[in-house]
Amino acid sequence: MAAVSATSVTFGSSLKLLKSSQITGKASSLKMVTVGWTKSGFPSLRTSRFRVSCSAKPETVQKVCEIVKKQLALPAESELTPESKFAALGADSLDTVEIVMSLEEEFGISVEEESSQNITTVQEAADLIEKLVQKNSEA
Amino acid sequence: MNLNLNPLTFQPGKFPSLSLPPRSSNVSIASTITSASEEIKNTKKTSSSPRKVQVTHSMPPHKIEIFKSMENWVEENVLIHLKPVEKCWQPQDFLPDPASDGFHERVKELQERAKGTPDDYFVVLVGHMITEEALPTYQTQINITDGIRDETGASPSSWATWTRAWTAEENRHGDLLNKYLYLSGRVDMKQIEKTIQYLIGAGMDAQNDNSPYLGCIYTSFQERATFISHGSTARLANQHGDKSLAQICGIIASDEKRHETAYTKIVEKLFEIDPNGTVLAFEDRMRKKITMPGLLMYDGCDENLFEHFSAVAQRLGVYTAKDYVDVLEFFVERWNVEKLTGLSSEGRKAQDYVCGLAQRLRKLEERAQEKAKQAPTIPFSWILDREVRL
Repeated sequence: MAAVSATSVTFGSSLKLLKSSQITGKASSLKMVTVGWTKSGFPSLRTSRFRVSCSAKPETVQKVCEIVKKQLALPAESELTPESKFAALGADSLDTVEIVMSLEEEFGISVEEESSQNITTVQEAADLIEKLVQKNSEA
Repeated sequence: MNLNLNPLTFQPGKFPSLSLPPRSSNVSIASTITSASEEIKNTKKTSSSPRKVQVTHSMPPHKIEIFKSMENWVEENVLIHLKPVEKCWQPQDFLPDPASDGFHERVKELQERAKGTPDDYFVVLVGHMITEEALPTYQTQINITDGIRDETGASPSSWATWTRAWTAEENRHGDLLNKYLYLSGRVDMKQIEKTIQYLIGAGMDAQNDNSPYLGCIYTSFQERATFISHGSTARLANQHGDKSLAQICGIIASDEKRHETAYTKIVEKLFEIDPNGTVLAFEDRMRKKITMPGLLMYDGCDENLFEHFSAVAQRLGVYTAKDYVDVLEFFVERWNVEKLTGLSSEGRKAQDYVCGLAQRLRKLEERAQEKAKQAPTIPFSWILDREVRL
């Protein structure tokens, strides 16, 4: 698996690229990378902290932020970033479970207990949602 | 708040708070209350790890006066819930009498009845017995509590009198269950005894932080929970046709009910004397979740023993997530938390949290039920590695 380290290096740079695309909203490049990744079936993606950051649509991230703000009764103007940690926003474990439940309802997905424990930020939630929504549509 | 963080310990994570049986039908609630199962594994392996935060003496010292001033009230209102020793049942009342002629016959009959009782029931009964046998830990927990501790081991204070007598009453529970299980012939006594040794050795940080507010709320909850648990095992024993076993569990349950009444009264009085302090304590207590005393049980082989035992208890309906929420709801009502007045803004937030919590937990519980999957069967060393479904 010598290729892994090489690929990680590539990832690094692609990630940067994609992050900037995210800002400019270039959806097409985002899509390309998503498809590329799932096709390669890169095994570490499943369990690693590898931010599939680039694959979540801005609308998804936005929706997650809304739900989080509502759950934690944060003022509408409060600034949430994709990196915002739930715990730092004042969420306890009960809040996090309720957030996940709301996300399930909103997006029509079902989150496994093991996965839900890995959701600690807005971005992680958005990524998992995208993954599950895609799985649903493929099914 | 006067927080004296123990200098020897520190850790950002909290000591695991587990109240609900984690698996099978309680996936979501499990993850809320216990991604702690992971924490448990870690803390067990490193029991003297310097990474644990143990908060101590969280009650402001001036409040100790409140408890001193309650001495007479305790004598007149709490000690009355103790039974005079001469009137108390003893384990021998419910077991074959070795001094009698028919002893061996009685034991045979007991064993015959026990054969008709399923393994999963025994797992739960053993779990209860082990928990009761860890009594030294509970007496310790009470005696490290500010305002109510027994300063000498024979202090004449009403609080100390209560604690010693309570301990003495509880002591019979473990004894009775121990002797029954020993005679039953259905279990591996050595594994059970080993588990007890591990459990007492592990102790338990119930996170009451030496506060009598937190402590009495906790014990109120616990006594009601044990009343429910032993009541359930009594009911199930009847269903399996073992009337004597049902009597054993039932008599223990009746003690728990008396104890519940006593602790509940104390907290009621605290709400009267210091509503703000008490409601803040209730919030804190519920945020930390009510940890079950047998949490750290270990039998030398199963790293998730408590989790597994709880799952069986949940499946059999002995003590469930629903019960947890019911108990919470009961106390919110019983202590009139909704109607409290004169609270600070923090107190009102605590009031809101506590009053709204049951509904939130019920929703989670419903969800968990929907998602419930069939659980695996696993061996329990307590029953000679026979398997039971979680």
